[in-house]
Amino acid sequence: MNNNAMTSDSLVTLLEEVTKKFKKKKAILFEGREFTYAELNENANKVAGGLEWLGIRRGDRVAIMLPNIPEFVFSFFGIQKLGAVAVPFNTMYKGREITHILNDSGARALISLSSNAALINEIRTDCPALEHVIYTGERTLVFFEPEGTANVQLVVEKTAFDELEQAFERMGDLLLRVVGEFGVSEAWYKHRGSLRHEGKKLATIVVSEIENLAIINAVVFLDDYNLDEFFKVIWVSPEIKDKVVEPMTSVRTITGSRPAIDEFRRAVEKHACEIFGVSFEPGELKRDEKFGYEKTRSMAYRT
Amino acid sequence: MADMWRIIYNPQGDIADILAYPSALVEGRISGKYLLSGEQLPNSMVVQAVKRRGILAGADVKIDKQAAHKNNIDVAVAARGGRGSPQPYGSMTLSQLMAKGSRKYKAVDQDPDEPAVLLYTSGTTGKPKGVIITHRNFIVQCRDNVRELLALTDKDTLIGVLPLFHVYGLANGLISSIYFGCAFSLIPQYSPQALLENISKVKATILIAIPTMYMHVVQLVRMRKSLIPKTLRYSVSGGAPLPHNTMKEFEETFDTQISEGYGLTETTSSVCVNLSGEGYKPGSIGRPASQVEMKVFDDDGNELPRGEIGEIVIRAGVVTPGYWNLPDETEELLQGGWLHTGDLGYQDEDGYFFITDRKKDLIVRGGFNISPREIEELLYTHPKIKDAAVLAVADKREREAVKAFVVPEDDAELTEREVLEFCGQNLSSYKVPKIVELCASVPKSATGKVLKKELVEGYKDERLIEKGS
Repeated sequence: MNNNAMTSDSLVTLLEEVTKKFKKKKAILFEGREFTYAELNENANKVAGGLEWLGIRRGDRVAIMLPNIPEFVFSFFGIQKLGAVAVPFNTMYKGREITHILNDSGARALISLSSNAALINEIRTDCPALEHVIYTGERTLVFFEPEGTANVQLVVEKTAFDELEQAFERMGDLLLRVVGEFGVSEAWYKHRGSLRHEGKKLATIVVSEIENLAIINAVVFLDDYNLDEFFKVIWVSPEIKDKVVEPMTSVRTITGSRPAIDEFRRAVEKHACEIFGVSFEPGELKRDEKFGYEKTRSMAYRT
Repeated sequence: MADMWRIIYNPQGDIADILAYPSALVEGRISGKYLLSGEQLPNSMVVQAVKRRGILAGADVKIDKQAAHKNNIDVAVAARGGRGSPQPYGSMTLSQLMAKGSRKYKAVDQDPDEPAVLLYTSGTTGKPKGVIITHRNFIVQCRDNVRELLALTDKDTLIGVLPLFHVYGLANGLISSIYFGCAFSLIPQYSPQALLENISKVKATILIAIPTMYMHVVQLVRMRKSLIPKTLRYSVSGGAPLPHNTMKEFEETFDTQISEGYGLTETTSSVCVNLSGEGYKPGSIGRPASQVEMKVFDDDGNELPRGEIGEIVIRAGVVTPGYWNLPDETEELLQGGWLHTGDLGYQDEDGYFFITDRKKDLIVRGGFNISPREIEELLYTHPKIKDAAVLAVADKREREAVKAFVVPEDDAELTEREVLEFCGQNLSSYKVPKIVELCASVPKSATGKVLKKELVEGYKDERLIEKGS
């Protein structure tokens, strides 16, 4: 009954060999989609070729920080076909846990979820060997709470900055001054990532780009909030609840009081004038923008 | 004159606004540019807060909208981004990368004894170590151990619920599934519900999981009898011991058999299986696969006779060549050509192995060895105790003292005194914990092992990022 005798003695050739035998057979099932062995093999080939194009060579380490999604499998076998070494690690790891693995393995590339961008950006300068970060998936999961979170977003021409790197620094500087207004004096800004206080996260910053525009998105924690409410909706095993989110702090935890959103807005505006060297004029969305706004909202709430 | 930027203030927004404002601003500017709209759109800043709790989710996240509604939480789902959507600064996407490669890439030549994977494992102390697993290690695991212990065929459909970053999910799940031409069903975000539904949906024949998952699923189906798939011909449990009653209940409910596997990252996962059925022995890790040599050694590397407790050692083609860049630790691990597992145990007259403790977890007090596992197993039998972890802490005179962390059952009234009295009635006095701490949960790894080092006083949270670190 067990007649599968694969002759491959390595993972470099295994998938190719199995594919020859089971071309059209289902290999991977995922949320209603199916990938045959032939499709899996082709996708793995593309990853291998892509990594090679990046300059990854036999023996190089490539880290994978992905949940169980097809891209994990494509990446894993792509790395194998190239003769590189896969370093898959725990998707719940944060901060120095990730730094240690990337540095110890000397990974030259990392394949992760785009929703981990803030996490990875923040440690990237601590990982000198890491040359390439490749993102996949749309698995953002952010909790917002009336008392707890305030959001600052900028959509500006890239030319507002000498280089995009500056977008992080300016936003970091801005938020530091803003929380400073409310009595947070010991916070600091970690490169390309977040505001921290005693190691914990106080605000998070993500910069993305599209065409000539930079989009800076920041969330500031004004008050601690109870994540248990959210865990009623997102099921997380009790043992790992404290591992799924980064350790967080808030303005209230640090100073004993929570700024009102009005005060927060005033502080943001005041310091943004200085930092960006511009004036601000209160406004609303214009006609050209209203359409996009309504479209996004209806898409967001569709069931 | 300074540039004029626009500020939009939305203090009473909702979760969809967090998405909609920036995307409106981006779309306005980009389409405005192409459509030659009359309006000049400025650089803009939005400051907003929400008036209700909300979850902002990417297109790939599955969210229970009913549960959200019931708990008064709004859910906004971002539209799936296309080729031209915003991208995190300083990165590329996997599809961009894959577009650079050919469907017909020709694999390189590689020595099968070279590393294929590094898997990082947390020991009881220190930083995670990278376990080298070679190509041959993986192939031997499939060709010898999995073929014999699991007997997979290309008719099988496996459930991929265990994380693939762990040796168990990777070696016994994904790679075994590929090796034998099976179908592998990926579950990206475990919940008992998702697991149960997936088994039904794909008509799974093999489930490879950890004890907590079996426990969760058994609890779930007790409440809703109707949805029980009966397609599983075989199930495997590993990572931690599976309580016997859970095993029985799962087997009866799902009309399947669970075998308990034993293995380490350092052995490319399973080397031993306690097969369900006639030969099953409760509490044992079973017998090693035929291509695996397994013995019990004393501290000087001498083989111990059956029945005597010592360190379990292994010699097999699945054994790692060592730890990445750690020659001293590698030498210690592989002394005399045997992999030293760090597990203490014995072999019975029928060749079955039993694990008594982790060598490094043993508590030594007054010259006596105290087994944390023995105390934990006693605590598990208490009806008001859901979970427990026992370890050594330093007492005032810097001697090792027994401390028990105890998680009470939901809604159970349990006091520290009750726990101490219960131990006093059932254990020799030197084994009774000096300290009992009641807690809401004990920290566990992805495969359900208690992370004792996180319970030790002075444990440093590695997730924190300190200034100048």
